[in-house]
Amino acid sequence: MRKNKFEEPRRNVNVNRSASTLRLCVFALQAVLLFACTPSKTDTSKALPEGSPKFQQYYVHGEELYLRYCSNCHQKNGTGLARLYPPVATSDYVDKNKDAVICLIRNGKSGALIVNGISFNKVMQPIPALTDIEIAEIATYLYNTWNRREGIVEVQHVSKVLSSCDTIPQ
Amino acid sequence: MNNRTFSSTWLATGFALLTGCVLLASCAKKQEPPLPIFGEREVEGKDTVYHTIADFKFVDQDSATVTNDTFKDKIYVADFFFTSCRTICPIMKTQMLRVYDSIQHDPQVRLLSHTIDPKYDTVGLLHDYADRLGVKSDIWHFVTGSQEDIYKIAQTSYFATALEDKGEVDGFIHSGAFLLIDKERRIRGKYDGTKEDDVNRLMGDIARLEKEYEKK
Repeated sequence: MRKNKFEEPRRNVNVNRSASTLRLCVFALQAVLLFACTPSKTDTSKALPEGSPKFQQYYVHGEELYLRYCSNCHQKNGTGLARLYPPVATSDYVDKNKDAVICLIRNGKSGALIVNGISFNKVMQPIPALTDIEIAEIATYLYNTWNRREGIVEVQHVSKVLSSCDTIPQ
Repeated sequence: MNNRTFSSTWLATGFALLTGCVLLASCAKKQEPPLPIFGEREVEGKDTVYHTIADFKFVDQDSATVTNDTFKDKIYVADFFFTSCRTICPIMKTQMLRVYDSIQHDPQVRLLSHTIDPKYDTVGLLHDYADRLGVKSDIWHFVTGSQEDIYKIAQTSYFATALEDKGEVDGFIHSGAFLLIDKERRIRGKYDGTKEDDVNRLMGDIARLEKEYEKK
């Protein structure tokens, strides 16, 4: 037997090749089946935008605060929900009204609001517990994620805006 | 000739095929047992009497009266919420909307959301809420009624918590549960309406429950 094997290597090649092709196919099939059984999970982890350590700290804290205070309604991915809660990711209102957004995070908002041409009209409750720096962190997250790259929103700017919310057009 | 190499190749191939079949079998739908029936039960003579949802009468977002008869020969999913809630309700509604999308063309399934803040959540407000959510009132009923009736049915029929508590963020304590009710008014499943995985399980169980009725 063993002798034969060494004496007839040429005949072996074809047999081995077809057998190994078959095996390859079977393993490929198994791999496909294995993946078919496994529930697919999309990778939601995003790369941290580049910037100074201070910027990154604001961004990371801002994301945590967004998930705690905002995402229930506006959703983790910022899409909002139907005509109940407006989107904050793709949102002409957020793009154009940074100071008003800083104010409404703390003071809430009521009345009609047009976002991307759609009218929203539910009350957003105020969150008075949020400090100036926390609002700066949320704003930094909001303005540097979902295709926005506007850099850090400084706490000094936030404090200035918050002290004059009455005068800011909503 | 090279029998040994040959046979070991086929042995490996056979083994691979076998494991492939096992994997395939594990993917395939098994014969599933019926869903559990929740709550206490009593045996009366030869019959087992199960816990059922008590009689109710509420008003929905179209001012229509909603009673047990509204869900006659239907499977339905019930929950408790209020429109001004910022904590778990928006997540529950996001998840219930997924359920709605999956059953909206299925005449056998309905959804029933009770407000636990009927003083604030008037018919008009519920109408606006449902309209903004973009759902049809004959499939998804948002109901209001007397606070006492709603809290009572929540606790004694659906085993869901609903309490007013001024110490809470929005003034209420309530559970985020979704309850699956069968055509005999029995609870057949309880799910966390704030968790996507649990709501996936609910959608699977709706299909399972429908199959149970097909067999009959």
